[in-house]
Amino acid sequence: MSSLVGRSVGSLKNVPIKPIMSANPTEARRRVLTLYKQWYRAVPKIITTFKLPYTKERLQNRIREEFLKNSHIRDVRAIDMLVIKGEMDLQETLLKWKQECHMKELFQHETAIRQPTDFLGKFFSQK
Amino acid sequence: MLRSALHKVGPIVNLPGRFSRYSCVKICQRNQSTDNRIEVFVNDQSVWVEPGTTVLQACEIAGIQIPRFCYHDRLSVAGNCRMCLVEIERSPKPQASCAMPVMKGMRIKPDSDVSKKAREGVMEFLLANHPLDCPICDQGGECDLQDQSMMYGSDRSRFLEHKRAVEDKNIGPLVKTIMTRCIQCTRCVRFADEIAGVSELGTTGRGNDMQIGTYVEKMFKSELSGNIIDICPVGALTSKPYAFTARPWETRKTESIDVMDAVGSNIIVSTRAGDVLRILPRLHEDINEEWISDKTRFACDGLKRQRLTQPMMRNREGKLAMCSWEDALPIVAEKMVNTKAEEMSAVVGGFADAETLTCLKDLLNRYDSEGLCTEELFITDGAGTDLRSNYLLNTSIAGIEEADLVLLVGTNPRFEAPLLNARIRKAWVHNELDVAAIGSKVDLTYSYQHLGDSTETLKQIADGSHPFCKRLSEASRPMVIVGSEVFKRDDATGIHAAVATIAQNARLRSQKGGQDDWKVLNVLHKVASQVAALDLGYKPGIDHIRKNPPKLLILLGADGGAVNKEDLPKDCFIVYIGTHGDHSAPFADVILPSAAYTEKTATFVNTEGRAQQSQTAVSPPGFAREDWKIIRALSEIMGSPLPYDDLDGVRARMSEFSPNLTKYDAVEDANYFNQAVQLARLAKPSLLNQPLQSSQLSLADFYMTDPITRASTTMSKCVRAANEDLPPDL
Repeated sequence: MSSLVGRSVGSLKNVPIKPIMSANPTEARRRVLTLYKQWYRAVPKIITTFKLPYTKERLQNRIREEFLKNSHIRDVRAIDMLVIKGEMDLQETLLKWKQECHMKELFQHETAIRQPTDFLGKFFSQK
Repeated sequence: MLRSALHKVGPIVNLPGRFSRYSCVKICQRNQSTDNRIEVFVNDQSVWVEPGTTVLQACEIAGIQIPRFCYHDRLSVAGNCRMCLVEIERSPKPQASCAMPVMKGMRIKPDSDVSKKAREGVMEFLLANHPLDCPICDQGGECDLQDQSMMYGSDRSRFLEHKRAVEDKNIGPLVKTIMTRCIQCTRCVRFADEIAGVSELGTTGRGNDMQIGTYVEKMFKSELSGNIIDICPVGALTSKPYAFTARPWETRKTESIDVMDAVGSNIIVSTRAGDVLRILPRLHEDINEEWISDKTRFACDGLKRQRLTQPMMRNREGKLAMCSWEDALPIVAEKMVNTKAEEMSAVVGGFADAETLTCLKDLLNRYDSEGLCTEELFITDGAGTDLRSNYLLNTSIAGIEEADLVLLVGTNPRFEAPLLNARIRKAWVHNELDVAAIGSKVDLTYSYQHLGDSTETLKQIADGSHPFCKRLSEASRPMVIVGSEVFKRDDATGIHAAVATIAQNARLRSQKGGQDDWKVLNVLHKVASQVAALDLGYKPGIDHIRKNPPKLLILLGADGGAVNKEDLPKDCFIVYIGTHGDHSAPFADVILPSAAYTEKTATFVNTEGRAQQSQTAVSPPGFAREDWKIIRALSEIMGSPLPYDDLDGVRARMSEFSPNLTKYDAVEDANYFNQAVQLARLAKPSLLNQPLQSSQLSLADFYMTDPITRASTTMSKCVRAANEDLPPDL
């Protein structure tokens, strides 16, 4: 039984948490930056592979947005988890396990039709 | 003495528990005090039962279902299908368990080889003459014979003879007969005799030639005729409008409430792909037991015809033209904002639900308007609608079974509330209930003392000078039921006061002397919305509109014909919110389509004051919206939205008005009869010398009474058939 797994169970308060990959925030930050650079460099290849109708800058900005979405996270283990997910996502993209539509989903929110949430809007548009 | 012709059918000894669940329960209660129960053994398991219980019921108590065809809980015992044969120890042959009373220490073996073999034998004989047309039979999937043959049927036939064939009978536009499929269980004959009270079905011939039918070709003239479709265990009697429509496993079933009359029968709405296919009864012991009227069952095709599916308003040429909600609502809202409070009114019809009534009341009250009326009339003088007991069926429908004398005033319950009439008939058959009536002399399916139709009789009974008063005071649990039709008369207050006086006198003079909580006064309403509307404080009748000609009138499904274009000022702007293009829609300036009772989750209060919920079975057609949402949307466009925007919110508001509206399936007691009578006296009621009459006298008057039934083709066929006494076609 590993005593390092539990996080904040009373008696184990001062026991260090077992890291996923990074031992401290600096290390985690380095991993994030590495992943970001990998994505950043892959952008031209992604555009040609998936024949995307976007400029390099636009896709880069969109990727930065995705990273910045999680910028508030301070928990090292959570950051590591996101990094792992990001690496998997990158691999799926570069190996073309994804399709064109999956990449375009990144830009879907710009054109999606919003469903009304207020009473009158719902009344007019649906039942 | 028995009033029904039970002896015609049942060759069985007189068993105490044979008539109905009700009488059985009563007997159980009596015996429980002395506890003379006897022990029997079902599969060696000991069961204590009341003496007089049948073997079949004893097995049911032990948790074993005996297969049966002819036996039905609510009908007398016939014992002729032989499917319920069971082995009983020390009896030479298997016995028909439905007709065999239990005896002390009896050992019943429903699962023994002998029992099984007996059932297999019976099944083989039944199937010998039953056609093999399950694939085209409408009963397929809900057929007792089909189900039980899976259990007891043989996989091959030993009969080489031809099957018997029987000519189909034409008994009207509702029930389709395929008589070759009949297994002569006589359930339909017993239902007609005992519950419907129309002895038109019977058996002819014997042995292999036995047939069920009307003997001469004629219509099965009963307002409850559809129920024989449900009780038929095979496909001999099926629904004509539903023929070849769907299989039971394809349909989705929604438990809902009926609004065709004020009884509030419980129903199941069967739907497929957004279509209401048929309506079946749902068990509710206190309201409809397991029956429903033909109007409830067959009027559902009216939900698909003549429907309003899109908002409409008058164009430049003054003709109604389709438009969108976005066009229609602002116009109505603008008119409403610019109309003075006293010039704004609303009239609600018979299908309005409590939620919509709440929203509409809130909306008009916000603009200081009090012009909220119901189309259906009631009294306003005396206690009026202030005391709830004044307008409810206080005794409750199930209470009829405890009554010993019923006085009907100006009502024909057979057509105004068929299930209530069935309840009266049930009590008349089993409990020696006596019935008397003042009003039109009509066939109520039971005998009653007709006291004439003059108001003079009513007056005499009220002041105690009529000979009938003696019977009223002798009765221990009398009931007086007054029909809502009398409130159309000019002397409505007088009649209500007289009836209330009669009821109060009868209550005080009865054996208990008014000490128990037995209530005598009963009002039988005709439409489903009325009690909820009165609970919410709507004014009954459209007097308010006559006195204050409105500039803006909202008609909420008011299709009863009380409001006409001619009675309204020329410049009156009429908004119609409703489901059908019926009476009032054509002269409206704006039409807003709304949902029918199968298309919304809504509250209806029946004539007893019992709140019940209908459930959404299908979505409203086209652009139609739920009624309360239309009013809510309108309020938002008018600039001051109502403070709720979901169903829970509306219901919370509803229970602020009247908490009973959200206490589902509970009957809230109403009282203050004495005060009501005193208040009525203050109004100085008078009676006119005009006979009390019902508008629904014959079966043909029963079928088409509201927008849904008027749009229904089945109902119009029924009217034709009832008028001509010859069914149109098979």
